[in-house]
Amino acid sequence: MTNKPLLSVRNLGVRFPSPDGEVVAVRDLSFDLGRRETLGVIGESGCGKSTLSYAIMDYLSAGARRSGAVLFKGQDLLLKSEREMREIRGNRIAMVYQNPYSALNPSLTIGEQLDEVSRAHRNLGKDEAREASLTTLRELSLGDPEGVARRYPHQISGGIQQRVCIAMALLCRPDIMILDEPTTALDVTTEAVILDIVAGLKERYDMSMIYISHDIGIVNKVSDRVAVMYRGEIVEHGPQERIYERPEHPYTRALINCMPRAGVKKELTALNTIPGYVKRRSADEEGCPFAERCVKRSPGCEDDYGLAELEPGHFAACGRAYADERPWTREAEAAARATGAVPEIAGAEVREATSDENGPEPLLSLRGVGKFYRNQKKTVRALDGVDFELFKDDVLGVVGESGCGKSTAGHVIAGLAAADRGAILFDGGEIAGSWQRRDRRALREVQLIFQNPGRSLNPSFSVQAILERPLKKLLGVKDPAERRRRAVEMLRKVDLGEEYLSRRPRRLSGGEKQRVALARAFLSSPKLLVCDEATSALDVSVQASVLNLLNELQAESGASYLFISHDLNVVNYVSDHVLVMYLGRVCEYGRRDEVVTPPYHPYTEALLSAAPEVDPARRDKPIRLKGSPPDPTRPIRGCPFAGRCHKKIGPICDETPPPRLALSATHHIYCHLPPEGLQGAVRL
Amino acid sequence: MASLVLKKLGGMALTLVAMSLVIFMLVELIPGDAAQRILGQSATPEAVASLREAMGLDDPALARYARWAGGVLRGDLGESAYMRGVRIADIFWRRVGASITLAAASFLIFVPLSIVFGVLAGIRAGKLSDSIISFFGLATMALPEFVSGILLMALFSVRLKLLPIASMIPMGESLWQNLEILVLPALSVTFVMFGYVSRMQRSAMIGVMKSDYVRAAVLKGLPRRRVIFRHALKNALLPTVTVIGMNMGWLFGGLIVVETLFGYPGLGSLTLSAVKTLDLPLIEACVLFITAVYVISTTATDLLYGFLNPRIRFSGGAYE
Repeated sequence: MTNKPLLSVRNLGVRFPSPDGEVVAVRDLSFDLGRRETLGVIGESGCGKSTLSYAIMDYLSAGARRSGAVLFKGQDLLLKSEREMREIRGNRIAMVYQNPYSALNPSLTIGEQLDEVSRAHRNLGKDEAREASLTTLRELSLGDPEGVARRYPHQISGGIQQRVCIAMALLCRPDIMILDEPTTALDVTTEAVILDIVAGLKERYDMSMIYISHDIGIVNKVSDRVAVMYRGEIVEHGPQERIYERPEHPYTRALINCMPRAGVKKELTALNTIPGYVKRRSADEEGCPFAERCVKRSPGCEDDYGLAELEPGHFAACGRAYADERPWTREAEAAARATGAVPEIAGAEVREATSDENGPEPLLSLRGVGKFYRNQKKTVRALDGVDFELFKDDVLGVVGESGCGKSTAGHVIAGLAAADRGAILFDGGEIAGSWQRRDRRALREVQLIFQNPGRSLNPSFSVQAILERPLKKLLGVKDPAERRRRAVEMLRKVDLGEEYLSRRPRRLSGGEKQRVALARAFLSSPKLLVCDEATSALDVSVQASVLNLLNELQAESGASYLFISHDLNVVNYVSDHVLVMYLGRVCEYGRRDEVVTPPYHPYTEALLSAAPEVDPARRDKPIRLKGSPPDPTRPIRGCPFAGRCHKKIGPICDETPPPRLALSATHHIYCHLPPEGLQGAVRL
Repeated sequence: MASLVLKKLGGMALTLVAMSLVIFMLVELIPGDAAQRILGQSATPEAVASLREAMGLDDPALARYARWAGGVLRGDLGESAYMRGVRIADIFWRRVGASITLAAASFLIFVPLSIVFGVLAGIRAGKLSDSIISFFGLATMALPEFVSGILLMALFSVRLKLLPIASMIPMGESLWQNLEILVLPALSVTFVMFGYVSRMQRSAMIGVMKSDYVRAAVLKGLPRRRVIFRHALKNALLPTVTVIGMNMGWLFGGLIVVETLFGYPGLGSLTLSAVKTLDLPLIEACVLFITAVYVISTTATDLLYGFLNPRIRFSGGAYE
């Protein structure tokens, strides 16, 4: 784009005071944002993405120091007073945040929170402000805006909350909208809808956007250009397709390769990981920020460093790592791939597929399991007649939107919640519903790890106490020396050293905590590990290393996993079988490749279509589900998905429960449509 | 919301019944025979026996409880055992009235003061004004009522001669003709409550000012006044309401030290003298009333909290 930049960030630096000296959060950062342009910003957490946006808005904690310049329409925002900034915030530059629920005030109605923006900036009266709010809500295709405006934030769903937040940012027709991970807290299907809205905004409202995300698949969907941030610096910066197809900086490449994406499966390859972690940066540190973790590190790296334009519009801070591959063309790459000269993913080792010549043997079977939560007169049917099987030495991925019952299924299997109906058969016999009534063997053999290891590890226990507890309680190991020996042995298996024994969870990083949680689970040699969103809270590079570790531990121990996740790419990567759930019922079950390829359940098709695709060339025509899953307290007579189904055939869907349609010995779907009707174009 | 109110009121009634039973039983457990105590050690066994019969002390415990509880429900609190021939109701309600007046006066002083200074300290956290308020709060909280009360007396009554040193009501006059006697006891109560409530308000305010929705409000470009009063305060008041509500029972019936110090004719000093003279019917009446105030104020706090918090007021499924 050749237009004069709307926002021009020049050598921006942000430093925070800390007890160990100043910490550099943003360093010597420069970029331009043109009119009607969307800049995507990616990087791991701790790389300064959010700090960048708050530095632009002048909303940093007390003591933070900014340097450089942020020129907005030629005026330096760093020199503006608080009063002058108030004129810009929410008016010329508006923000949308990660978690819409917490960004909305719980005590004020949606209408009031919208109206006050127009009243503060546009001097509108009460009625005019409300009219403006309703119009904007309507423009974001929200049905019944009056009803939404009357309600409080907790009374509307996450997708609507985020649309309200976007509407709030649009009210004054800003020049720039900054979106900070706006879909991270949402379901994939809702995320897809929000991304569609965001992608159309800049044309419709004639504005520019900065879109911050850790997920390059999402950034690719909405951005014109992408900036990759690492430890407070932009290390690479260029047109969106270029950054994906032809990353120059080793960090960008490593980050893209960390992501489990379409077509990447555990049998084919281990995920790429980045050794080490994002370190805080002190004020006196010089040179390449990535050198320590870089696979392409070589002597002289430190000197030959700094953003340089490698091809028109494409800047990278490291020009030497992949210099031998230049000049690069798409055709040359395709040719190289075809001849096998370029491996699909560099540096990854191939794992052999799990063999089951004798036919799989079930470890866990659920038979008509139901779990109901009664709340006054209403009943939430969290699980409603769920049947499935999990085989020995096998990974069953469970997917569905939030509220589909996937976590409840995990809890029921682990005994955290007793099923109200049905039976759970484990390793040949029925086991009790609640953990209190399970024997030691069952307790030992079914283990659980959670999404947030920071909350599931007791903060006042040392790692040693955490690890020795199952040895003492479940295995009855009396000898302290023996317990310690086993704990250390297990720590080594999860790539942590003996020195971790004395640490407390607080001193561990997110990835280390999840490793400790895994070690704890594996110490009792489980036959079944329930992983409830085990990698969802982790950064992509950490997620990749934990997924690799999970695979290694599984291959070594022969344990089975129930892998619950909202992330289809991750489930596709780790699973042997996949279960798709909706509203407490099973939609589809089968071997992974059968589930992610047609024919599939319309809901599976919609989920696959919503999954953010890393590769921009592989995007398909999207299927968008309307709204969210219906009220779970409403009794369902027919198919639970009928209300949102894009392939609904008629009243039969609403009135008759769908039959079990066996497509192969290992694959079945609950749908009224014949197999021919279940074709589709989406594949993963 | 309506069902919530009904549930809370039902729970409150149950608690009161259970508490009346407990109080009755506790008083039963006090060693010694009530008739003997009334007549003194020198009384003949026959006299004791006849008084026992007259008082119905030989009836089964449940029957006595039923008689007592029935009387309470009709407003008949019985006769004092110490001051023979005095109906408890005659002295009791006047004391309750005095206590309510003192509680109300204290409430009107400490609630606005604590909230205003707590909010101020919260939004200026870490600055000088916060330090001064926090220090003052801590200092007043650390002073027991009898110390702060004596300090207040020394200053306002002895030195400045502005207010009466004792809070007695002269014979034949009512409290309303002597309102100045309320000031010093109410200030003593304020000293106790201010530090507690203002610290609570301060930390609630600090928490809310760090919340995502306040950040969103600031970055919407709203004036600071609106951010603080409309967005922050509404949420930061919720924990304070709970704390104040929880202390209402104490404020009505627990001011024994303050009332004794100032000679204020309230419920606290009445309870104290009833305990001193082992006047069982009077103890029962006082303790039951204080319990009732606790239960009612806690219930009222819960309901008020629910009313102030839309997440409870409009609980239910998400709207599509």
